[in-house]
Amino acid sequence: MIKTLLCLFILVPIYGKNIYFTRSGSVSFFSGTPLEDIKANNEQVTCVLDMETGKTSFRIPIRGFVFKNALMQEHFNENYLESEKYPNASFNGEIQNWNNLLMNEEPKQVVIAGEMTIHGITNSIKENGIIYKRKKKVNGQATFNISLSDYMVKIPKILKKNIAESVELKINLELKKK
Amino acid sequence: MKSFFLLILFSSSIYYSQEDLLSFIDDEEPASLPIQSIFKATRIVNAQSVEMARSKTLEFIIFHRFGSMSNGFYDLYGLDEASVRFDLSYGLNENISLGFGRSSYLKTYDFFYKLKLLSQKSKPSYSFASVVLFSKLEIATINKTLEFKNRLIYDVQLLIARKINQNFSIQIMPTVIHKNLIQTEDISNNLFSFGMGGRAKVTKRVSFNIDTFIPLGNRRTSFNQSWGLGCDIDTGGHVFQLLVTNAQGTFESSYIENATGNIKDIEIFFGFNITRSFII
Repeated sequence: MIKTLLCLFILVPIYGKNIYFTRSGSVSFFSGTPLEDIKANNEQVTCVLDMETGKTSFRIPIRGFVFKNALMQEHFNENYLESEKYPNASFNGEIQNWNNLLMNEEPKQVVIAGEMTIHGITNSIKENGIIYKRKKKVNGQATFNISLSDYMVKIPKILKKNIAESVELKINLELKKK
Repeated sequence: MKSFFLLILFSSSIYYSQEDLLSFIDDEEPASLPIQSIFKATRIVNAQSVEMARSKTLEFIIFHRFGSMSNGFYDLYGLDEASVRFDLSYGLNENISLGFGRSSYLKTYDFFYKLKLLSQKSKPSYSFASVVLFSKLEIATINKTLEFKNRLIYDVQLLIARKINQNFSIQIMPTVIHKNLIQTEDISNNLFSFGMGGRAKVTKRVSFNIDTFIPLGNRRTSFNQSWGLGCDIDTGGHVFQLLVTNAQGTFESSYIENATGNIKDIEIFFGFNITRSFII
């Protein structure tokens, strides 16, 4: 009896969770200056959403960002994001007001808050996004700006005019049930 | 017993911590990726590196080798005379690049290709080193009377390089150079050598490089083993390589087999390579 109880206690938190996830979410970033537009797209974003609590985690492999210019991509990895040292960017946080959120086909404005780690530096962020459920899949989208200096991504003086200090991130996810 | 239950309850609540959310689905190994930037440019100092013109990218390099420093201030340590090379190469895809160059040294034209046979990769599908086949045909045009076939020199090299860690890369290069025409009886048409090179990163954008070629087999008595010492500066758009070497030529048969200088007489050459890439 005690053993079954024990088992229940251990198993419930593991298997009882209502988890939605993806391994192929997309994040793109865009840096626009009068001199040069730089964009890259990453289709290898892992995201997990706990449907019971609204807690969510992201993992973004830095090497997954694809640029049109291969040299730029190399510089991005080697000189700016140092992807050998910091292979992933991550986010851990939650969708606020989760319990009052009615999830259906209609896109709802939500606020996502948590800790974002890029280039080994962690910052608290709070951004707007939208979320909806369609055909048994949970869709999430968000667009926001991050500042490179917050994450100690240094731009050499000579390139200050080519790379924007504030970079726009666009996130687009389709999560399915585990 | 009660405390034991509490413990279980407590430990189960740990499962709700943020880090573990990802562990719910982490059952796949991460993909293995090719190692980037084993070297910064397609040359280490003089020697070819395993890097090649990237896919759909036209790479233009200007080489400058000034005169010997041995005359001192008289010709400003060799800066009065310079040997120049223009080098254009294009990446057909990630594994093949084709190139063309013209050097003022012996007024030589050359055509070359690089073929990537293996890419060094991170775990789990591990490959230890990058391997590139390099081959070049040189046509010296300084002597107007020579028959065409006697102007030709062939170079073949196997470039094997490994990025040991973020800051250090090494390369070895078994080399054979075939000259159709040789000047004295005692040298063979085929010249074998074993090249070695390396790169040490000092900052994110600056590294020190070195390369040399050890001759295998006999050479004429005036032969000098070639070496080059350089510093790479990556500015984003360009790679500048400042260097000193004992060879004034910038194509393979000239810097491997025809290094004229030596340190003892300060007969060394200051020079630079500037690389610029264009997306096409």
